[in-house]
Amino acid sequence: MDKRKLSHDILNMIERLRIMHDLVKDENYTSISKEEITQDLAETLKKLEEDFKNLLQ
Amino acid sequence: MDKIICLGRNYADHAQEMNSPVPVRPLLFIKPPSAMIEPRDQGQVPLPWTRGEIHYECEIVFKLYKKNIIGLALGLDLCFRDLQAELKKQGHPWEMSKTFKNSAIVTPFKGLKDFPSDWQNTPFTLKINGELKQEAKLSDALLQADQIIHYIDGFFPINDGDLVFTGTPKGVGPLKPNDLIELSFGPIQHSFRLVDNG
Repeated sequence: MDKRKLSHDILNMIERLRIMHDLVKDENYTSISKEEITQDLAETLKKLEEDFKNLLQ
Repeated sequence: MDKIICLGRNYADHAQEMNSPVPVRPLLFIKPPSAMIEPRDQGQVPLPWTRGEIHYECEIVFKLYKKNIIGLALGLDLCFRDLQAELKKQGHPWEMSKTFKNSAIVTPFKGLKDFPSDWQNTPFTLKINGELKQEAKLSDALLQADQIIHYIDGFFPINDGDLVFTGTPKGVGPLKPNDLIELSFGPIQHSFRLVDNG
């Protein structure tokens, strides 16, 4: 397991979550729809949990 | 944010004023996030004046998510022009002249919903001490929104949160300490003052 890559991926996902938060806070759905954000959120949180668990091992 | 991707010579009139050939396609270079500052309205931006004459380039800035534009801002891409000219002459990359601290000044981002649907035809302006220095529309550029993203995608990996400086029109020039900068683009009206590094 490449912990450096895992760490990089985790930080990218945190950045993605921050952007999703901003899109929702600003009700900015012109480019990315609410449904797409909801789906991205579910996928990102799932992957984030998996990667975090792997990093902890 | 992973990086700031910048287009060089995306406006023919700027290439001409720099005595550079108008390119078939714009140049690309990267600034690190550590070069960026987002000053508050009526705030201050410290710059390293003692290292050389600093020139401004006003540009529309995109924020990207999944290769879509999710926000627009105005930015000032700053450079040490003499050093850049020297690097160009030697055929070297420009980064040494363009990546100093606060060399990427960006206003707060606004969502596309805050802009008219034809925002690429909306003028953006830079005033310094009340004098109009630059005015253009993205539709004046060689590459426009979708083309810019497609073009970058052919050369660099694009990550969520990356910013794109889309190139500057004619009217670039030098700055001096205490200059008052006013940036305007659609719903964006932002001003700040340039100060000494201290």
